Amino acid sequence: MINENILAEIAFKDDDFQLKGAENTKLDMNFASQSFWKDAYVRFRKNKGAMFSLIVIFLIVLLAIFGPMISPYTYQETHITETNMAPRVQGLENLGILDGDETLKTSTGFKEKNAYVVDKTTGEKSDSYYWFGTDTLGRDIWTRTWTGTRVSLYIAIVAVLIDMLLGLSYGLISGYFGGKVDSVMQRFAEIINSIPTLVIVTLLMLVLKPGLTTITIALMITGWIGMSRIARAQMLKLKEQEFVLASHTLGASNFRVIFSEILPNIIGQLITNTMFSIPNAIFTEAFLSFVGLGIPEPMCSLGSLISYAFKSFTTHPYQIVPPVIVLALLMLCFNMLADGLRDAFDPKMKER
Amino acid sequence: MRRYIAKRLLISVGTLFVVILLLFTLLQFMPGSPFNDEKLSDEQRAVLYEKYGLDKPVVVQFFHYVVNMLKGDFGVSYTISKNTPISQLLQTRLGVSLRIGGQAVLLGAVIGLILGIIAAIWHGTIWDTIATIISVIGVSVPSYVFALGLAYFFGYELSWFPLLYQMDAPFNSSVLPSVALCMFTIASIARFTRSEMLEVLGSDYILLAESKGVYGPRLIFRHVLRNALIPIVTVLAPLIVGLMTGSLVVEKIFSIPGIGSLLVTAIQSNDYNVIIVLSFIYSAMYIGIMLVVDILYGVIDPRIRLSKEAPHD
Repeated sequence: MINENILAEIAFKDDDFQLKGAENTKLDMNFASQSFWKDAYVRFRKNKGAMFSLIVIFLIVLLAIFGPMISPYTYQETHITETNMAPRVQGLENLGILDGDETLKTSTGFKEKNAYVVDKTTGEKSDSYYWFGTDTLGRDIWTRTWTGTRVSLYIAIVAVLIDMLLGLSYGLISGYFGGKVDSVMQRFAEIINSIPTLVIVTLLMLVLKPGLTTITIALMITGWIGMSRIARAQMLKLKEQEFVLASHTLGASNFRVIFSEILPNIIGQLITNTMFSIPNAIFTEAFLSFVGLGIPEPMCSLGSLISYAFKSFTTHPYQIVPPVIVLALLMLCFNMLADGLRDAFDPKMKER
Repeated sequence: MRRYIAKRLLISVGTLFVVILLLFTLLQFMPGSPFNDEKLSDEQRAVLYEKYGLDKPVVVQFFHYVVNMLKGDFGVSYTISKNTPISQLLQTRLGVSLRIGGQAVLLGAVIGLILGIIAAIWHGTIWDTIATIISVIGVSVPSYVFALGLAYFFGYELSWFPLLYQMDAPFNSSVLPSVALCMFTIASIARFTRSEMLEVLGSDYILLAESKGVYGPRLIFRHVLRNALIPIVTVLAPLIVGLMTGSLVVEKIFSIPGIGSLLVTAIQSNDYNVIIVLSFIYSAMYIGIMLVVDILYGVIDPRIRLSKEAPHD
C-alpha cells in the first residue's frame, strides 16, 4: 500500500510539463489529418467498379443464406413427374416471360412446349412454380444453385484463413530470420510449388474420399505459397529500417517486432493479395467438382451443378444458366474488388 | 551464369526425385497387387514376383521404378483397358493434348501481346478501357464457361465447328477448344504487357530516345517492347499450369481423346497405375518448363547473365 502511495506522489501529472511555445502552434483546420484506413476507405468509395462488386457479392451472400429457405423445395428432393421443367415465376408469367415455355429443337424443326400444362385441352397449368426450373431428376434448380453457392463462399473463407494463418506467418518468419532458416523454408516452398496443384489434388483423391474436406486439405497444401512470397518480399524490404532497429533497442521480442511493428505496415498489400486468392480458390473447387472430383451427389456445388446440367445443355440450356452466371459473377466481382482494394491501399499502383 | 544454370538444374532434378518418391510411396499403400488373379497358385505368384522383382527390398524396387519411369516404361493399365501398356495408351493422346495446348499458347500470346501494346500506347483512352475490360473478364471467367458458350453457339446453334472431337478432322475439331483455353492466356499476357510497357515508357532512357528524335513504331518496337518483353517470360510458368487444369475441363466438354480426359477417367475408375503415371508426366512437364523459363530468363536478362550470383532466389 505504501508503494502505491509513493508512486502516486512521484508520478508525473498532466500539468507538470508544458510544451514551449505551445500557444503559437496552429492546427491545420482546412485539411484534417487522415488515418491510413480512412484514406483507403475514401479512395475505395470512389471506385465505382469495386463498389458495384461489393454490392453484388453482398447480394449473392444474402441469396446463398436465404435463397434455400424461401423456396418450398429442398436441394435433394426429387420430383419424378416434374423433370426438366423450364423456369416459371409467379407474376412474371403473365408478362409472357419465364412462364415455363421452352423451345425444343427436334429433327423436324422447332417445337413449343410447356411442361407445366396438366390438361392439354384446356391448357390448365399445375400450381407448382420452379423459379429456375428443375433438372433431369426433377430437383429445384433455384434451391440447388444457392446451396451450391454456399460451398463456394465456404471455400472463399477457407482461402482467406489459409492465406492469413499459414502463408502470412510462413513468409514473415522466413523473411525475418533470413539465413539458414530462410534457405530451408524457401527450398521447401519451392519443392511444393514445383508439383502442379492438379497432381497434388489427384493424389489426395487416391488416399481420401472426394468431398469438401479433401478440397480443403488440397487448398491448405498449395494455397499459402503465393501469399508467403509476397509477405517475405515485404519483410525483406522493411526489416532493415530504423523503426525496426528502434524497437529492437527498446527490447521488443522477435514475435512483437514481426507481428505488431512490421505487419501493420504491410497489411494493405497482404489484404489485396488475399482477395486475389479467393477467386483462385473458388475456381479450383468449381473445377474439381466439374471433372467429378468434388462434392459427391446429392450435395452440390456450383461446379457440380454445371457439370450435371452440361449433360443436357443442348436440349435444356436453361438448366446450366443459373450456376454459370453465379459462378462467373462471383469470380468477376472478387477480382474487381481486389483490384479496387489494391488501388485504394496503394494509389501509386493505379497507373500500372 | 554457369553456376546459376547448374543450381537450377539441381533443384529441378531434386524436385522430380521427390515427386517420384511420393508417387512410389503412395503406390505401396494402394490395396491389391498387380497379380490379383484368383487362378494363380502361390507358387506361380512367387515366380511372377521374382520375375518383376517384387520380392526384392523396397529400396531396390524404388531404384527399378525410377529407372523404368525415366525410360518411359510405365507398366500396364488395370481397369481402363485391361493389361494395355500405359505408354501405348499415351501415344496418340499426348499428341492431341499438346496440339491443343500449343495452339492455345500461340494464339493467346499473339492476341495478348497485341492487346497489351494497344492498351499501353493509347493509355487512358477508350482502347485502354476496352483492353482492360477484356483482360479482367478473361482472368475471372473460368475457361469452361467459355468452352460451354463456344460449344453452344458455334458448335450447336451455328454448327460451324464440330461439337465433339472428330479424329478425322483434327484441325477443325481443335479450333473451339483452343479458343476456349487461350482466353486466360490472352488476359494475363495483355495485363502484364500493358503494365511492363507503361513502366518502360516512363523510364529515362525512353525520354532520351524521344528527345533524340526516335518516334513511332521504331521507338515502340526497338526500344520499348524489347525491354518490356523480358519479364513476360516469367508469366509463362503459371500460364502452363492454367493450361493443364483448363485442358482437363475443355477435353471433357469437347470429348477430346487427350491425356486430360484420360486422367479424369482414370480417377473415376480408380486406375492407380494410370493416375500415377499421368501425375508423373504432368509434374515432369511442369518442372521442365519451369527450368527452361528460369534459364531463358537468365539468358535474355543481362542483369542476371552478367552477375556471378543469381540475384533472386
